[in-house]
Order: sequence, then C-alpha cells, then structure tokens
Amino acid sequence: MRKLRTITGVLAIVFAALTVMSCKDNKKEHSNEDGHHTEAGHDHSDGHHNNDKTSIDTSREIKENSQKNTTTSPIIDAYIQIKNGLVADSKEDAANGGTALLEAFAKYDMTTLSGETHKEYMEIYESTKENAEHIVKSPIDHQREHFEVLSTDIDDLITLLGTEKTLYKDFCPMANNNKGAYWLSEVKEIKNPYFGAKMMKCGSVKKQIN
Amino acid sequence: MKIVKIIMLVLLLVFVGIQFISTTRNQSNSTPKTDFMFVNNVPESIHKQLKVSCYDCHSNNTEYPWYNRIQPVAWLLENHIKEGKSELNFSEWENYSNRRKKNKLKSIISQIEKDKMPMYSYMILHGEAKLSEKDKKALIIWVSQLRDSLK
Repeated sequence: MRKLRTITGVLAIVFAALTVMSCKDNKKEHSNEDGHHTEAGHDHSDGHHNNDKTSIDTSREIKENSQKNTTTSPIIDAYIQIKNGLVADSKEDAANGGTALLEAFAKYDMTTLSGETHKEYMEIYESTKENAEHIVKSPIDHQREHFEVLSTDIDDLITLLGTEKTLYKDFCPMANNNKGAYWLSEVKEIKNPYFGAKMMKCGSVKKQIN
Repeated sequence: MKIVKIIMLVLLLVFVGIQFISTTRNQSNSTPKTDFMFVNNVPESIHKQLKVSCYDCHSNNTEYPWYNRIQPVAWLLENHIKEGKSELNFSEWENYSNRRKKNKLKSIISQIEKDKMPMYSYMILHGEAKLSEKDKKALIIWVSQLRDSLK
C-alpha cells in the first residue's frame, strides 16, 4: 500500500513539474500583421473599410443572362438531386447530391468566363462549395438550412450564366423559421424540400425560368 | 498490487511521453485590418460578448487557459480551434465576399438560436462565455441587422 502511495506522489510531482515547465515558453507567436494596428484607437473612418453601411457596394445585382447555356446543366442536376433528397426526407440522397454538386463544380470549365462574370462566379462557387460540404456531412435539419442558402447561390448562378432547362422558382413562407425561403424545381407541382412529407404542398411558384 | 503498479507506471510513461509532442499555438499580437471588429461598427456590449464567447476558436488569437500546455489538452484545443477557424474566422472577415459574409451571419444566428454555440464543452471551463437569453436576443438582433445591411 505504501508503494502505491509513493507512486501517486511521484505522479503528482511530475505533473506539477511539467506544468511549471510548460508555462515557461509562453511566448506569443508573431503574426504577419505584427506591428500594424496595435493601438486600440485605430481610426475606422479612413474609407478603406465598409464602416459606413450606406457605402456598401450595391452593384451586386446580377444582370440576367438569357442564353440557353448547357454547361450549367450538371450543376443544376446535382442541385435538383439534393432538392429531391430533401423532398423525400432522405438525408443520404441529399448528401449524395451534395457530393455530385461538388464534382459538377470541379468539372465546370470556367476559362470561358472573364472579368466581372468570373469574379461573380468565384464568389458563388466559394459559397456553394461551403454549403455543399455541410450538406454532405450534416443531419437533415442542418442540410435544409444550408439548402436555403444554396438555393440563392444556384439561382444567382443561373441568372449569371443562363440555362437551357425549364425551372420553377418556388417560395414557401413558412420555411426558414417563418422568414420564408425559395427553391428551384424541375417540376411545376409544389414539392417542398424544407418540410418534406410534413408539409409537402406548402408553397407556390413565383417565377418560371425558360 | 503488482498489476496496479505496472498500470500506473505505464500511464506515467505515456503521460510523460506525450508531453513532448508539440502543438501550434493560435496567437497573434495585433488585430488584423480585416478583423470583424475593425470593419464593422460593433457596439461595446456586442464587442465584448463576441470576444469572450467566440474569438477563442473563431479568430487568429486565442486566450489560452493555464492548462493548455499539458497534453492531451493542448491537442484537443488545437483541433477545436482549427475546425472553428475553418468554419468562421473573425480575423479574416473582410476577406470574405458579401455572399459568404451573409452566409456566416445566418449561421451565427442559427447556431446561437439553437444553443449549438458556444459549445457546451467550452463553457464548462469558460463560464463567462455562456450567453443569457437576453444576451442571445440582443446578439441575434444586431447580427440580423448587419446581415440585412449587406447587399
């Protein structure tokens, strides 16, 4: 019994010693920004930051592209796959759609895009990628949250690049915590991806594309 | 008795051994230009709350607790911070496009509403990070306004 106590004692001492040692090299790592903006009273109003809310660039309205673009089809198909997964309350199908969407984007040839269109595409792509990744790995309620944002992305992408497909832009006022949410569908009939079987018919067609 | 002794010795060795594994620390001496607090007009109370409840894992500067240098704690922290920053990094805020900013703000609201953030395990050791119902409400209103102001 005494031996056990000795061992416990030794353990405690080692632990204490390590703690003290580990605190010694408590030096802060230096970052790239070192030296800049260290004072708390940094002037915010130098015009470089979007402090002033009214000065935020409002030119984000995307000009509608009515071209019958076929290159966007794989992306739209993958989006529809996610949508139909959610309509069927299937987390797996939605996740597979997410993977398909990531693949479709990876294959998309963006060398044809230039200037503003390219910039806009990249922003949409970044956002879509993040949303698709969450859809791949999340439970269904979280998938639906990301699907709401994803729908905006894909809608904007279609506005930007055009499509040859006939699509319906649907709206359900109860989705997204009663704030309302859009989605795109390949069929005219309302099939709600935000509620699935719980409220399949909630929503209405707001716009038809092609 | 002998078995207990051996087990204790092995545990001791493992414990000492893992202390030699080093981890990267998430610290910087300055706030970058792109930081959320620089870019936005953040009211004092919200500023404090975000710093205390979010910045340890969602910025380039963590205020480490005293036990952070001991393994395996340091590992766990390192992974949490890495994951946290890949989801949302307030230090990099201005590098996000407006589209992504809006997504992030939406997620912030939803995570707070659903009590998913701040994480439970974090709050055990950081009682001050816990948000009261009143705090949550105020934060959500402010973040929603910021989100609506973005195009």
